[in-house]
Amino acid sequence: MKTRSRRAFLAESSAYSGAAWVAANFPAILTAQKSAQQGGLTFFTAEQMKEVEAIVAQIIPADETPGAKEAHCQYFIDRALSGFAKASQGAYTKGLEDLQGRTRQMFPGAARFSELSAAQQIQALTAIEKTPFFNLIRNHTVIGFFARPEHGGNFEKIGWKLIEYNDSLNHKPPFGYYDAQALAAKKG
Amino acid sequence: MVIGSGAGGGIMAKQLSAAGFSVVVLEQGGWGKYGREHEYNKDEWLQLNLSEDDRLMSDPARQRNTFRRSDKEKAVAGTHSYGCVVGGGTVTYGSSSWRHLPYEFKEVSTDPTIPSGTGMADWPISYEELEPYYTQAEWEVGISGQRIQSPFLAPMSKDYPVPPVPLKSSGALLYASAGKLGLTAVPGPLAIITKPYMGRAACVNCGICSGYGCQVKARSSSAVTMLPLAEKTGRCEIRAKSYVREIAVDNAGRVNGVVYFDAQKREVRQKAKAVVLAANGTESARLLLMSKSARFPDGLANSSGMVGRYLMLGNTVTANALFDHPLNEYKGVISGAAVVDYVPSDPKRGFYGGGRITARGYQTPLDLGLNGLSPEAPRWGAGYKKALREEANHRMTTLSFVTQMPLETNRVDLDPDVKDEWGLPAMRITTTSHPDDVKNMEFFRKKSIEILEAAGAKKVWAPPVNDARGGAHNRGTCRMGDDPKTSVVDKYHRAHDVPNLFIVDGSVMVTGGRNHPTMTIQALAFRAADHLVQNARKGLLRTSL
Repeated sequence: MKTRSRRAFLAESSAYSGAAWVAANFPAILTAQKSAQQGGLTFFTAEQMKEVEAIVAQIIPADETPGAKEAHCQYFIDRALSGFAKASQGAYTKGLEDLQGRTRQMFPGAARFSELSAAQQIQALTAIEKTPFFNLIRNHTVIGFFARPEHGGNFEKIGWKLIEYNDSLNHKPPFGYYDAQALAAKKG
Repeated sequence: MVIGSGAGGGIMAKQLSAAGFSVVVLEQGGWGKYGREHEYNKDEWLQLNLSEDDRLMSDPARQRNTFRRSDKEKAVAGTHSYGCVVGGGTVTYGSSSWRHLPYEFKEVSTDPTIPSGTGMADWPISYEELEPYYTQAEWEVGISGQRIQSPFLAPMSKDYPVPPVPLKSSGALLYASAGKLGLTAVPGPLAIITKPYMGRAACVNCGICSGYGCQVKARSSSAVTMLPLAEKTGRCEIRAKSYVREIAVDNAGRVNGVVYFDAQKREVRQKAKAVVLAANGTESARLLLMSKSARFPDGLANSSGMVGRYLMLGNTVTANALFDHPLNEYKGVISGAAVVDYVPSDPKRGFYGGGRITARGYQTPLDLGLNGLSPEAPRWGAGYKKALREEANHRMTTLSFVTQMPLETNRVDLDPDVKDEWGLPAMRITTTSHPDDVKNMEFFRKKSIEILEAAGAKKVWAPPVNDARGGAHNRGTCRMGDDPKTSVVDKYHRAHDVPNLFIVDGSVMVTGGRNHPTMTIQALAFRAADHLVQNARKGLLRTSL
């Protein structure tokens, strides 16, 4: 299968999450990301945003298709923290601090999580994956990835494209493979 | 006066106001935000995060409740939640509209598999008596379905008003599997219209379905069927955000009004000649227990001590499967087809129990992403993304709705320590299902797995069975019966102890059927309204005012 081998290749080269690769593969995304960044942040500092961006990029990574970072989940979270998730502001501030502490503890010499290699980032996140903070940012990332783009994430319906979700307001049968088959058999 | 605006209350309000009576409907919930075609946008996230004002279900943080397994335990915080909006549970329900079968009204006298020592009892009314009201409910509410003659289905005197919902892939797989196993699969009757009906548009298969308010009013909820007709008479006023704390009585023991909190938590007194209590199978009992007076020290209409007892919360059994090809279950209504062979209890199984296995697979994007993958799937990272890709649209679920026997020890009462947000005693739920109920759940778990495997699933998993701790199918706490010593209301829903109090919701149900209560509540409501109107016209209500 074409996509499989491409994924395998990307995994081996471990270069698939780099900005250059995104720029080459998803130029439209990069342009829009820039404009979204210029819109300003509502809660995070620029430094915090860099870390959040790195975290969401590991929660749903880019491979041959874009991931959470390309879907603007980091901006979704920034907006959420001034909106529906206001109560979680403190949890984020503390959670991000703790992650930096964990980073320095696990990788002496490393200044911040976002500067770790992808493999190191995964190691660091695995170490905190049972914590309430990780669960919080994981869920917010998933929500940003799959909620309607109006909420700030799911940019260009990246999340919906991944799961082949058709967001049409109404659907007509046949809906799926098996009812289509049954319908065809009935017709003769 | 009608307390509650759901399946029972909506019909009572409409029937009574159409018959010429002045009706005030008090509904604990708000008006809800749905059914506005001009705002139709399928925004799953917005609808999962409705403001307190727009909520459709009760909030266990405000409508606090507690839970324990038995009288010996101290209750802990509960999760019980029910429809809490104008229209009640019918606004968000899956819309299944199965009738009870004739023998479900007389199981004790016809079914040898019922163990002794339970609260199972025959109903004081027969299927034949209720049949015309089933038909009336199906046609007035608007039910889609197909009339089929089968020993596993209730006989009907008339077709459904509109045809069944289109086949989904989960339904096609269920039919195919039933064919292989020699089972009977049928389209389920649903309170979702498939053709324009009574001024409402047909379902557009948008997929934002059970758990949400229908944005195009195709779900035949009380809020878009009965209540608008009641208001149209000019004799019915619906007061949302009106939370009744007490049904008041005069010295002669007759109801003369209610006391409720309005949206600002101000206490309001409203007089009434008669009260119809339709607050659901748990809240109706709680309100009676809160309505203590010198004449009714143990709670209103509770001389039998039966108010709150025989609670049936409603047990279900889940099994899941992944298939090779996409089902796209996010399109269309939640469920369309069911296997009905195991509706009757069977002595060969060695225990009492029955139920229906319904096909579904319902997964909206957020639902899928947050919690919808198979149990071993990673929750983040490359593995998570891979699982999303592979499992999205390929999943089918069976949900079995099964029997739960009424037991005297399973009940609703008032928690002695915990108060709700209004300072009233929290509802305390005490429940443990009968061992036969658990065996029955195990049976349905096994059968569901067999069916999914026969359908050709590449992976099947089913969580361990567990009985319900709360939920919208609550029934039984004000049971109907001929004997005032062992029941709360008579066969016409009138409280044995109070001549002008009528209870018309799931709480009057003597047995729980196969855990699909709404259509029976609706048929009972049409029948109760008929008798109430006749009695009132004859001057037999014995009102206080």
